[in-house]
Amino acid sequence: MLQARGITKKFPGVTALDKVDFDLLSGEVHILLGENGAGKSTLIKVLSGAFAPDGGEVFIDGQKVEHFDPRVAQHLAVSVIYQELNLAPYLNVAENIFLGRYPKKYGLIDHARMHTEAAAALRSLNMNVDTHSLVIELTTAQQQMVEIAKALMTRSKILIMDEPTSSLSARETEQLFATIHKLTAQGIGIIYISHRLQELHEVGDRVTVLRDGQFIGCKKIDEVTVDELVGMMVGHSVDETFGHDFGPRGAECLRVENLCSGKRLQDVSISLHFGEIVGLAGLVGSGRTDLARAIFGVDRYDSGTIVLFGKEMKNFNASDMVDLGVSLIPEDRKVQGLALILPIAENIVVSSLDRLFPRFFVGRQKEKEIAMQYVEKLRIATPSTARLAQFLSGGNQQKVVLAKWLCTKAKIFIFDEPTRGIDVGAKAEIHGFMNELVRQGAAVMMISSELPEVIGMSDRVYVMREGRIVVELPHTETTQERIIHFAMGADEASRRKGGRTATDMDHATSSAPSQATGEGPGLAK
Amino acid sequence: MKSTTLSFLVRVPSAAWVVLLLMFIFTTVSGRYLTVGNIVNIIDQNSMLLIVALGATLVLLSEGIDLSSGSVLSLSGVTCVYVMKYLMLSGTSNTIAMFAGVLVGLLTGVVMGAITGALIAISKLPPFIATLGMMGVAGALSLVAANSSAIYINNPVFVFFGSKLDRYIDWPLMGYVSVPTFIAAIVFVAVWIVLYYTSFGRYIIAIGGNESGARLSGVDIIRWKWAIYVMSGLLASLGGIILAARIEAADSIVGVGWEFDAIAAAILGGTSFVKGKGGIAGTVLGVLVIGVARNGLNVIGMPTLWVPALTGTIVILAIVFEVMLSRWKERNRWVRQGLR
Repeated sequence: MLQARGITKKFPGVTALDKVDFDLLSGEVHILLGENGAGKSTLIKVLSGAFAPDGGEVFIDGQKVEHFDPRVAQHLAVSVIYQELNLAPYLNVAENIFLGRYPKKYGLIDHARMHTEAAAALRSLNMNVDTHSLVIELTTAQQQMVEIAKALMTRSKILIMDEPTSSLSARETEQLFATIHKLTAQGIGIIYISHRLQELHEVGDRVTVLRDGQFIGCKKIDEVTVDELVGMMVGHSVDETFGHDFGPRGAECLRVENLCSGKRLQDVSISLHFGEIVGLAGLVGSGRTDLARAIFGVDRYDSGTIVLFGKEMKNFNASDMVDLGVSLIPEDRKVQGLALILPIAENIVVSSLDRLFPRFFVGRQKEKEIAMQYVEKLRIATPSTARLAQFLSGGNQQKVVLAKWLCTKAKIFIFDEPTRGIDVGAKAEIHGFMNELVRQGAAVMMISSELPEVIGMSDRVYVMREGRIVVELPHTETTQERIIHFAMGADEASRRKGGRTATDMDHATSSAPSQATGEGPGLAK
Repeated sequence: MKSTTLSFLVRVPSAAWVVLLLMFIFTTVSGRYLTVGNIVNIIDQNSMLLIVALGATLVLLSEGIDLSSGSVLSLSGVTCVYVMKYLMLSGTSNTIAMFAGVLVGLLTGVVMGAITGALIAISKLPPFIATLGMMGVAGALSLVAANSSAIYINNPVFVFFGSKLDRYIDWPLMGYVSVPTFIAAIVFVAVWIVLYYTSFGRYIIAIGGNESGARLSGVDIIRWKWAIYVMSGLLASLGGIILAARIEAADSIVGVGWEFDAIAAAILGGTSFVKGKGGIAGTVLGVLVIGVARNGLNVIGMPTLWVPALTGTIVILAIVFEVMLSRWKERNRWVRQGLR
C-alpha cells in the first residue's frame, strides 16, 4: 500500500538518507531498525510528509504523491505516533481525538456526538477511559492509546509508530502489542520503530535495517536472528558481554534506612558500597526514580534516614549533594541533564564552576582545555567543544552529562536509565565507562529497565515494586525471569494460590503513578 | 482522598478566598464598606477590566502574552472620541457620529491586534517582544492623537455606554445594572462560547498545550494564533471605548498599567503561563480581587496616592498564594493518582 523508491534527503553537511527503498503491505508490521542517526526518523518524516525529500518518489495505493505535507498525509490516511506525544494536556480525551476536525452542529462543536464517537473508538481498542478526563491526568500508556484512537479516527490505513514502547511498562507493552495485532487484522499497515531488540520477533512481520542513511536490507522477521540484525545495524558484531568484573567491594558509602515518601516510597532500605554497581530494577513507576531523586535531595521525603559517608544527612538539597560528591545522571538527559542550547564545554564545567574558578570569573581558555580533556577521554564525537549540545546524538549527549559529573570529581554516580534511546555502539561505551568508574573505586547505582544490562552490569540488584524494595539479589542469582517475577509481583500471586487474579494484577500495575507523568511537576520547576 | 469537604475546599479557586478575606477585612475596618451600593459600584467599575482580562486570558491560554492591551485601550478610546468629535463638529447627527466613533475605536483595536498577531504568528517573534513593541507604539500614537492630553466629548448618545440601565429600560432592579456590566456579561458569555464551543477556542488550548502536536493534527497555527491577538486587541478597544464614554473624555494615558491588571486577573483566576491550563471563569474572580482591593482601600480612607502601590502588593501576594496552592494541588494529584 505504500512504496518509497530511492528516497534521498540531504541536510547541510549530511546526507541523512541515501537512495532508500521501503515498502509496506496492508496488515503487516514492518519494523524500521537502525542506530541513532541511521536515518529512521528522517525516513518517517518523509513518509508522513513532514519533510520533502530531495530525491525519490513516494507512492500510496499506487498513486504518486506530490507536494506532501501533514494535511495531505491526513488525507492519504497516513498517521504518525511520535515518541513525544502530540496531545494537548488541558484538552480532554475526546477533544484531543477530534482535534483539527471537530463535529459541528449549528456552527458550534457538538460535544455530545464527539464524546459518543470517541468512546466508541476507545472501546474498539479495549481501552477503558473516561472521554471527559483531561489528557494530563492519564498515564503515558493511556495517552498513547488516545493517540492511536486519534489516528484511527482519521481512517488511517498506515500508522507509523516511533518507539512506542520506550516509556511503557512490560504489561502496558503487552497491551499495546495486542492492539497492534488487532489493527493489522483490520488490514492496517504499521511502520514500527524500536530500539528494543527483544520485542521485534513478538510484534513484527518484516524488518528493514538502515545504517548511516543507507538501506542495508529487508528481511522477514522469522528468517533472521537478533544477532544478525545487530550485525546489520552496527556493521560489525558487538559482543553481548558487558565487561564488568564482579570484584570485591569497598566500604559502605551510602545507606538509606526506612525511607518513606507518600505512596511512592514505602519503607525503602538500601546500601551502596564503593567499588560496586548496584542495579535498581522494577517496572516504570515502581519508585526507582523517586528513590534516586529523594537521595539526591531533589524531592523531599516524609521519614527515614539517609547516611552518606557515615554521616546522617539532614535538610539537604541537590546542591549539597553535588558538593559532597554525589551525582545524578537523569533519565531525561535533554530536559534534566543538559542545557541543549549551550556549547559542550559549558555543559561540562557548569557543575564545577566554584571549584575550577574560585575567583568568580570564568576563564574561557581553561574551560575549553578542561572540556577538551573529557571530550577525548570519553570519546565524544564532536568537531569542537564549542558545538551546542543539541546537535549531538543521544549517546554523545549522555557522555557530556557523564563528563559534567566526572568534572565535579563525584564519587557516587546514580544513573537513571543510562542507555535509554542510545545506539548499540554508544551503549557499550557507556557500560565501559561505568566499569572504569567502579574500578577506580567510585560507587554506581544504576536504574534500568533493560534486564540484560541490569544482569550484566550489577554486583547486586534491588527489585522495586509499588514503592517498596521487594528483594535484593546478588549477581549470581539474577536472571531475567527472576527479576520480572519479583518486579511484577508474580511471587505473591503464586503464594496466594490465585487469590490475586489477573485483574488485581492489572490494577496493581496501573495504580503505580507513571514516571513520565508523575514527575512532570518536578521537571517544570 | 481524606474527605469530600477538603476536596471541595481545595477545588474552590484561591481567588474566591482572597475576595472573601479582603471583604471581611474591609467590612471590619469600615462600616460603609458592605453596602449594596458599594458592591454594585465595584462590579460596575471593573466591568471594563473584565473585558480586557478575558482577552488576556485567551492569550495566556495559548502560551502567549499581550503587553499591549493597556496602550491599545488608550489609543482606541482616543481614536473613537476623535472621530466622533470631528463628525459632530462637521454637523453629523450625534447618533451617527457615535456609531462611526465606536466602529473606528473597535477597528483600531482589531488593526493593532492584527499587526501584533502577524508579527507573532507569521514573523514568529516572541509574543513578549512583539506586544512590548506594540505597547510603545500604540501608547505613543495615542499621545500624538490626543496631543498629550485628553479630548473631551459631549455626546448624549455616547453616554449610553457609561450609564445605568434604568435610563433605558423601565424594569425593577435595572438601577443596579450598568451598561458596562451588561456588556461585560455579554462579552463573557460570547467568549465562553468561543472558548468551549468553537474550534477556535479548543485550538487555543491545543496551541498552548502542544503547538507542534496541534500543527500535526492539521490545525492552521498561523491563522489561529493571529486571531488570538486580534481578539485581544478587539476586547481591549471595547474596554477603552466604554471607559471613554464613562468619563466623557478620551485620556491618552488612561490605559497605563491595565495590561498588568488584566494579566494578573487571569493568573489569579488560575490560568497559567504554560500548557493551556486555566479558563475564563476564574478570570472573573481575579478581576474581583483587584477591584475589591482597590475599592476597599479607597473606602477605608487610604490616601489616594498610596492606593495603587497597596493594590499591587495585595495582587502580588494573592498571586503567590494562588501559585503555591496550585503547586500543592498538583503534588497531591500525583499522590491521589497513586492511590486510585
